[in-house]
Amino acid sequence: MPLAMLRQGETACIKEIVGGRTARGKLTDMGFVSGKTVKIHRSSGGPLIVGLGDNRIALGRGMAHKVIVDNKGCEN
Amino acid sequence: MALNKRERKNTELKVALAGNPNSGKTTMFNELTGSRQHVGNWPGVTVEKKTGRAFYQDYSLEVIDLPGTYSLGAYSEDEVVARDFLTAGDYDVVLNIINSANLDRNLYFTVQLLEMGVDLIAVLNMADEAEKKGIKIDKNKLSQLLGTPVVETVASRGRGIDNLLEQTVQNRDLSEASLKINYGSDIEDLISEVVEMLKQYDFSQQINQRWAAVKLIEHDPEAVKLLEREVGASKAKKIKSLIAERELKAEDDFDNVIIDKKYEFINKVIAESVQRPTADEEPENVSDKIDAVVTNKYLGIPIFMAVMWAIFKFTFTLGDPLIGYIETFFEIAGGWIGTQLLEIGVSPLISSFITDGIIGGVGSVLVFIPNIFLLFLAIGVLEDSGYMSRAAYVMDKVMSKLGLHGKSFIPMIVGFGCNVPGVMATRTLDSKRDRIISILINPLMSCSARLPVYVVFAGALFSSHASTVVFSLYLMGIVMAVIMAGIFNKILFKGERSHFVMELPPYRFPTLKGVIIHMWEKVGAFLKKAGTIIFSVVVLIWVLANLPLGVEYASAESFIGQFGQLVAPIFAPLGFGSWQAAASLVFGILAKEVVVGTLGVVYAAGEGGLRTALLANFTPLAAYSFLTMVLLYTPCIATLGAIKSETQSWKWTLITASYLFVLAWITAFVIYQGGMLLGIGV
Repeated sequence: MPLAMLRQGETACIKEIVGGRTARGKLTDMGFVSGKTVKIHRSSGGPLIVGLGDNRIALGRGMAHKVIVDNKGCEN
Repeated sequence: MALNKRERKNTELKVALAGNPNSGKTTMFNELTGSRQHVGNWPGVTVEKKTGRAFYQDYSLEVIDLPGTYSLGAYSEDEVVARDFLTAGDYDVVLNIINSANLDRNLYFTVQLLEMGVDLIAVLNMADEAEKKGIKIDKNKLSQLLGTPVVETVASRGRGIDNLLEQTVQNRDLSEASLKINYGSDIEDLISEVVEMLKQYDFSQQINQRWAAVKLIEHDPEAVKLLEREVGASKAKKIKSLIAERELKAEDDFDNVIIDKKYEFINKVIAESVQRPTADEEPENVSDKIDAVVTNKYLGIPIFMAVMWAIFKFTFTLGDPLIGYIETFFEIAGGWIGTQLLEIGVSPLISSFITDGIIGGVGSVLVFIPNIFLLFLAIGVLEDSGYMSRAAYVMDKVMSKLGLHGKSFIPMIVGFGCNVPGVMATRTLDSKRDRIISILINPLMSCSARLPVYVVFAGALFSSHASTVVFSLYLMGIVMAVIMAGIFNKILFKGERSHFVMELPPYRFPTLKGVIIHMWEKVGAFLKKAGTIIFSVVVLIWVLANLPLGVEYASAESFIGQFGQLVAPIFAPLGFGSWQAAASLVFGILAKEVVVGTLGVVYAAGEGGLRTALLANFTPLAAYSFLTMVLLYTPCIATLGAIKSETQSWKWTLITASYLFVLAWITAFVIYQGGMLLGIGV
């Protein structure tokens, strides 16, 4: 499911980044790569604030739809 | 990348600082170069490379600070500045500044540089933060795995700097070998084939061929462009179709595979060289706790407004008494010099030049040093603390209604200091549409140069409500910016949406050194402006006020008087049809402080100085209308120059210059005529 659909406080594992070259490039540059754990710190209408390790990143809803995650979390 | 190195003396090195945003690059730059910086560092964002000088033993190092970037992908203009510099290769060593507490993402950029064959030193900065988190990095192992020297530093406390300089000097001639990551047999075979094909062409002798092949396989637009330029479209097509053909057979897109392999390599490096505490769940850190309040759905915007109000109060409450002292100083100095000059028998003309022209004109502007000092201090702290990006996040709600996103708000805040860096800060926006709209509205952010005009008028005419009047002008600027952005969004561009991704760095206490360097630069820049542009214009106005020969100083018959009278009818319906007001606005386009400077010169003849003259010549309503004009009308030439160079277009520059004049005229007209009808302030 897309990252945008998670609720505040939920954690998930990144499976895949979809979308155009620019969007994908920007996301991978910021550390959104498959196998990483993301946590939703804020989801209240506007852009999301997600935690990626120690980084906090504001992510527009459109971009958050390009990050496909598994809410069962990462293995290991 | 030694091939492009220019000839330099043995003791001279050119060193570039590169790395992710928020890795402490600028702090490192300040630490290395101190006050020996050539190009001003505007508070806000580093969007242009800056140079400074560092000395170590017998060596002299030219240090270049590049804008922060996450990769060589370069999605926005500031990142293009960094990428172009790094790929051109005109340097001896790159100091790759890495946030030790955030290794995996930072190493993604390091790996890209190493693959390109860049001679670099991996600088593990913020080592103290990593220690605090219990992260242990085996430097020797990391150095061995990456094949490049590794140095540990804490730039904010000056730790490890000498060692870094020592390593820089010692490693000026690093090996030419580049890092090779194994991309799997499919891609590796293709790389070899592409390298063979590239070898036929001369240009490939100048670059790292393997790296170029990888970039082409990734469909990197810049690499494809370079190839087409060097070998022609038809030969380039041969290589491109080979890649496309293989990719079709493969399971996954090659660029995805390449990214995954890079991260796989990084994960392996980290697994072998870094020990981390095995906490199951990261505890909420202090930044998260602050963010829970500051980015709250309901509290976010009110908190932001309160911060802006606090900055404003800080600038005025602390600045006002200081202004008083400086004013008194100039008054006493002016009077004393005037008498001395007359006593020693200097001609009245020269005496007038010094007292009316220089002291009356430049002095009336210099009085505002404290305000400008404090304002830039506040903006610097806002940026260095990490709050700026939270403000951008919070304002996304408003900005998205205008078709922009929150990041577009940062150039607007920078614009409160000066519109030139405000316009430049739009480089961080990756969509052209967002950039153009942000540039068009940036001059509506009331810059520090307009502040002297407000303060002089408000002090003379609105004594008890002075700060409310000035704050209302700032608000008016923001409201106009919002309205105009909405209009431009509707009429100029349609459809295009951009990607909003923005890092929220952890909150930090600004370093004293960083803040002092910021302020020193700003005051220096202001003094330089006062000594050059403002001084020359004031002299010009004094001359025009004395010509033709024999005319009464600054009278309606002088050249400046005649010129002002010619323009004045345009402003008459706005309540300030005097030639003095008209002349000050026209010359104010050279620099907004000149509005005060001009009035200082032309009213200097009167008794009791500028304030008394304003009181005699403006009603409160006319003054407010005049201030509205000063806030909104055509930006200064420096800003227009920045707009021209950033948009590369005369069209946008002229549109900005003219729409603002029309907007200013109409708004002032409505305020003045409306006030007259209602009988307010007449």
